[in-house]
Amino acid sequence: MKRIHFSIYHFFFFLLLITIGFRLPLLENTAMLFISYLALFVADYRTAFGQLSLSMADYFISLLLIIAIPVFLFLKKDIVFSPKTFSFSHYALAVILYAFVFAPVITNDNIDFQKNISVTRLLPPLSSIHVLHLNNNPVKSGRLNNFLSLKNSVVKNSFDEKIIFFDSLQITQSGVIYFQNELRNSLPLSSIEMLDGKPNISDRFFLLGSDEFGRDIFTRLVYGTRISLLIGFCAVILSLIIGVALGFLAGFSGGVTDVFLSRLTDMFLSFPMIFFIILILAFFGNSFFSVIIVLGFSGWMSLFRIVKGEILSLKNKDYFFTAQQLGLPGTKLLLKEALPVIAIPVIVNTVFQFGNVVLSESALSFLGLGIGNEFPSWGGMINSGQEYLSQAWWMIFFPGAAIILTLVTVNDFGRKLANYFNPRLHE
Amino acid sequence: MKASQLFLSLIKRLTTSVIVLLLTVSFLFVLVRIAPGDPSQKFLSPSLSPQLIEKVKKTFQLDKQIHEQYVSFLKNALTGDFGVSYSFHRPVNEVIAEALPFTILFSLSAFVLQLIGGLLFAVLAFRYHKKLWDKFLSHGSMLLYAVPSFVSGLFFIYVFSVQLKIFPSSGIRTVGILENNYFPLLFDYAQHLFLPVLVLSLTGLPVYFKYFREHFEESQNKLFIIYLRANGVSERRILLSHIIPNSLNSIIAYAGVDLGILFSGALITEMIFSLPGMGRLAVGAILQRDYPLIIGCTLTVGTLIILTSLLADLIRLKIDKRLVKGLIN
Repeated sequence: MKRIHFSIYHFFFFLLLITIGFRLPLLENTAMLFISYLALFVADYRTAFGQLSLSMADYFISLLLIIAIPVFLFLKKDIVFSPKTFSFSHYALAVILYAFVFAPVITNDNIDFQKNISVTRLLPPLSSIHVLHLNNNPVKSGRLNNFLSLKNSVVKNSFDEKIIFFDSLQITQSGVIYFQNELRNSLPLSSIEMLDGKPNISDRFFLLGSDEFGRDIFTRLVYGTRISLLIGFCAVILSLIIGVALGFLAGFSGGVTDVFLSRLTDMFLSFPMIFFIILILAFFGNSFFSVIIVLGFSGWMSLFRIVKGEILSLKNKDYFFTAQQLGLPGTKLLLKEALPVIAIPVIVNTVFQFGNVVLSESALSFLGLGIGNEFPSWGGMINSGQEYLSQAWWMIFFPGAAIILTLVTVNDFGRKLANYFNPRLHE
Repeated sequence: MKASQLFLSLIKRLTTSVIVLLLTVSFLFVLVRIAPGDPSQKFLSPSLSPQLIEKVKKTFQLDKQIHEQYVSFLKNALTGDFGVSYSFHRPVNEVIAEALPFTILFSLSAFVLQLIGGLLFAVLAFRYHKKLWDKFLSHGSMLLYAVPSFVSGLFFIYVFSVQLKIFPSSGIRTVGILENNYFPLLFDYAQHLFLPVLVLSLTGLPVYFKYFREHFEESQNKLFIIYLRANGVSERRILLSHIIPNSLNSIIAYAGVDLGILFSGALITEMIFSLPGMGRLAVGAILQRDYPLIIGCTLTVGTLIILTSLLADLIRLKIDKRLVKGLIN
């Protein structure tokens, strides 16, 4: 009898089930939106192209993956990799990757959504606040209007005119009187959405509290995963290219090039890079791409050293010498003979470098030199929480915990990878 | 003969480092000047007449070509004059001389704390090898290694300054404390510096811990340790007079670079606790586009880094005579 272990795939599946359980209406709407978008596309592709937005595509991708992943897992029965012992970092990695991919369906909120700041600002975690729904305009008929109303219900805006947050409410003959932080307002009954003769009141839940502008911290945290990981991936790939190319050049050609590049590396390594990074970002402007480029250019040194060392030892090996004497060009030597040898140490180093980049990015955002306020980043959230330290610990605690979790996971993953590839440890 | 050769090779190394430093400074000198923006913009508004703008630029000597500026900078730098800071309106030397003593005190105390702490915890983990303490310390150091200083700094401020109100959260001394009363003044400094030093040393502590711990474990299989143990030398003696001294050699090389980087100012810690150190000075200079101060800070920090790594090498040469041979050849 085959024993079934609780593996990482089951855990991923479990996360998917939780999401589906909480967000079933949203997923239904997304599916309907997808179908109506396809119908619109067939009928009138120009309008469809005009309506396509990045955030809507994001929802579609999440929906398709939610359907595709379980199907894929069921079809592929013999999953090879299954950690039998509980390993924290595997599960943490699964959670982080899950948040990265399924951000829109996990949160179902706009990152900049804010309304009635006097009521919603600096709410502690697990608090909920009453919401008054106003009357919706009736949906006009027609395929496009139908599609648009569906789109509005799925893809959230950073504003919503149809809801009002309030503290307490009184219903009178003429209308409702609601209080927002000692502020008294009233509305006629006709403008309020009614449910069974009463005003439609629901609760909005802030899982991890809200920040100084009344924005949901959970949403920003989940989307912050995307920023951190994306910058990490891009910067690491950039420094990978630079480090491997320069290391190959230095190790392969030797002589003056080697001395020059090694001196340059020493110079980069012995100086505190953070000042160079800050200087360049402050003088040439900070944006998403400049942060990636600067972090990528500041992290190639360790890769350079590894690649250079490996190439130098490779040059004495017979098979490499033979390939060289047979007249293989430089690029082919790199791809066919050198890359398979240097791949393992480079991969391990890249994982650690990824952790460094995530840390640097959050530090830069903390100093206000990150990717700007357009996207939420963990470091930036901590920076804005610094001011409210005595009132709102949750503004710092959760992003800080996210950074620590990511770094612990990435470092642990790198360590495991190094052990896995180290033949001496398997004896 | 040997001593003079050693001296020559050290001089050679020092010269290379100085050349690298000079190249870095020159690179920065050009970089800040070709970057978009101009420090004189801060003092000017578009409504001013062009003549006045020219005049202001002239006082900054920014109207000249870059190479002319560079030559005059080199001439002045040789006499020890690095110009006048744009934002402080005082000589750069004076501004740096105010920030440097604090930074040296601050980073030295954090450095000593993390070195001693790392060693002590490593000894503790080694004593209880593969027992609860060891596992706890190893996992704890892994976790600590992943905690950025801005998170731990804010956490300590929240716990100790906001909630418990034991330690002040920022600055270096209480306003209005008596200058001539030494004991309370010292106590006040210590109270202000406790949290920053703790936060700064927590980032380096896991690195030293891991290094010592791994070295202790490796040396378990060394032949001379097995030999000593077979001869009945006590574990305590083996650890204190054989394992630890042997592990010092390569940690000193790392510590030299580490101390140099600490001297450059623990930027984020200084930011959180608003301390008047080199890191904040340098970042302030960068954000204000204070060209002379940027160059001055780079030179100071670079010199300190060169000096500390040189010092580390000298100590290594002193304790390990084998290295002398390697250095000469």
